[in-house]
Amino acid sequence: MITAIAWKNVWRNKTRSLTVISAVTIGVFAGVFSMAAINSSVVQRIEAAVNDELSHLQINNKDFRKSGDLQNIIYDVNTIKSVLDSTEGVQAVTERIIIRGVASTANKSTGVEIIGIDIEKEKRMFTLSEKLIPGTGSFLENETKTKYNTIFIGEKLAKELSIIRYILSPEAFDLLVSLGVPAEVVTKLEPLKDQRFTSEKKFTKAVSLLLNLKEQSKYGLKVKEAAWSYREGSRISLSFLDIDNNQTGATFRVSGIYRTNNDMFEALSVFVPVEEVRNLTGIKEGACHRIIVRLEGNDLTNKITPEIREALPDFEVMNWKEIQPDLAMIADFMNQIYAIFMVIILAALAFGIVNTMLMAVLERTRELGMLAAIGMNRRKIFFMIMLESIFLSIVGGFAGMGISEVVISITHKTGINLVKYSEGMEAFGYTAHLFPTIDPGFFVITTILIVITGILSSVYPARKALKLNPVEAIRAE
Amino acid sequence: MKVVEIKDVHKVYHDTEVEVKAVSGVTLSFEKGDFAVIVGPSGSGKTTLLNLVGGLDQPTGGEILVAGHRLSELRPSELIDFRMEHVGFVFQSFNLIPVLTAAENIGFIMNLQKWPKEKRIARTNELLHSVGLSDRHNSRPSQLSGGQQQRVAVARALASHPEFVLADEPTANLDSKSAESLLDIMEKLNREEDMTFIFSTHDVRVMKRARRVITLEDGSVVSDVRVNGR
Repeated sequence: MITAIAWKNVWRNKTRSLTVISAVTIGVFAGVFSMAAINSSVVQRIEAAVNDELSHLQINNKDFRKSGDLQNIIYDVNTIKSVLDSTEGVQAVTERIIIRGVASTANKSTGVEIIGIDIEKEKRMFTLSEKLIPGTGSFLENETKTKYNTIFIGEKLAKELSIIRYILSPEAFDLLVSLGVPAEVVTKLEPLKDQRFTSEKKFTKAVSLLLNLKEQSKYGLKVKEAAWSYREGSRISLSFLDIDNNQTGATFRVSGIYRTNNDMFEALSVFVPVEEVRNLTGIKEGACHRIIVRLEGNDLTNKITPEIREALPDFEVMNWKEIQPDLAMIADFMNQIYAIFMVIILAALAFGIVNTMLMAVLERTRELGMLAAIGMNRRKIFFMIMLESIFLSIVGGFAGMGISEVVISITHKTGINLVKYSEGMEAFGYTAHLFPTIDPGFFVITTILIVITGILSSVYPARKALKLNPVEAIRAE
Repeated sequence: MKVVEIKDVHKVYHDTEVEVKAVSGVTLSFEKGDFAVIVGPSGSGKTTLLNLVGGLDQPTGGEILVAGHRLSELRPSELIDFRMEHVGFVFQSFNLIPVLTAAENIGFIMNLQKWPKEKRIARTNELLHSVGLSDRHNSRPSQLSGGQQQRVAVARALASHPEFVLADEPTANLDSKSAESLLDIMEKLNREEDMTFIFSTHDVRVMKRARRVITLEDGSVVSDVRVNGR
């Protein structure tokens, strides 16, 4: 009965209740959706780090990570493998040889980390092979034998070494038209036809002289995409030290170029088949610098790390959170951001409800006095006002969460393209194409918090109602 | 049988700098089945006396006994339960719960008292019939006239078989026809249910129907007349 009256009371003043409910709905939606978007950025970054760059666990000799000393080699790989094989939750294992060196082309040179990999194992453990830019070749799989070694490099490094160039060829002009760039804009670009630009910066500058700001903002990316040019079979030279500390090196044919959202990883990490590195450095079969471990699930990371660390006390065993503590910190920080967001939203929600309920109590002074007079006890009056607050917050909260769920599931499929900020975001390893996602548990926690807010916001108005003197309240105008 | 006993009751207000004696040494009793009015000029203490008898307010002196309860000994929470169990209230401005239908308003106190549903529905229908509103079962107060609302209020007051009904100026907001109709119903219920009605009023029509007229002046009873033949 009390519940029914409270529900009906909510709808006595439809305009006011709907205003509060709308405010709650918008607040909850804004909060939940913002968090889903921010969360997706972090989740995607962690997934990329685990799936493309680090995997779950890495094992190397102590001090190798710090010094990068080529001679700091793991020789008893089999001992480690037998420990890993007997550890429950370990899905796959691979070895890597890691050397620091310099990559050069005719134009430029830069420091890189040369990673010797077992191609088949890496394909099973990492998704990097899927990050191959279409049309740039393959993931170290050459159908035609060449006299050169093969190398898989990142787009950022390819740009730095001027392997990627920008040329507005006749095909590029056709592509621009097919991408929907208006004819007048395409015509303006005619002076750049067939000119070669060795860097993105030079090309962007040349385009900016021909297009106005609005056109640059609207079509700049498409122009860059059309002009992006890579000559298959480009070569780079790598120089590094061998196991005896002698300078060595070789020319490598670029087998493919990968694109991730992490500029630093793209600029530094080059991958070559492990046999080629063994030949060039003299590191023998069965020895390596690092053993990479893939677990059956990321949630096993915290559990399995200490187990393996205990079993391999002479080695450095680190999980991805320890290797990139910034990622772990951001993941933890996200929880704090959740909390801050929710406090702000729920505080706003609480003020709205307190205000509305106070008005409702003041307007119903006589009625509340009458209820007390005819025998409705204080507990029931308090409960009725509390229920009204809870209904207001819950209706708005559920509507907000429902809308959030719909918008999140749509944008999770379509993505949110923050391409304008891609340069800045990718410099830190974050994608500019967000696919909002949120843990279903978040909705449960939010529901509980909304109910608690409804209860807390009802306390002050309900206490006001309890303080009414029935004799005076009944006479109130 | 005495339903209410008022013994030398005083009520003094200290709210302002001047002490106000609203009720001063009133001694009265009401019998089962009384149909009594308390009359007097404004400020004579009628409503205060009604509030004291109904347990809405506490006397500053004397004592009031209702159905074996000494009201001055009851704690505030016990007074609320006392009112629910023993007193029916009819207010000047109807004071129905606007979001409930006529039937729900009548059943409200029975609901608070946790009556079984069937019994509650039967009693509600019986009272709706008694007050002539069987066809307005599902009407909300806003869909009823003032007279009809006050009839629902009377039905609500009687629903849980209280010891007596207190009606504070029940006809003040009604036109003549509605007031007469309401009084007819109250008289009928008084007869049929042997219900005790205690009114405070200025309304001559109510006084004419009463079987007992108590006059207050300056908080004291100046006359208490039983009218034979009514």
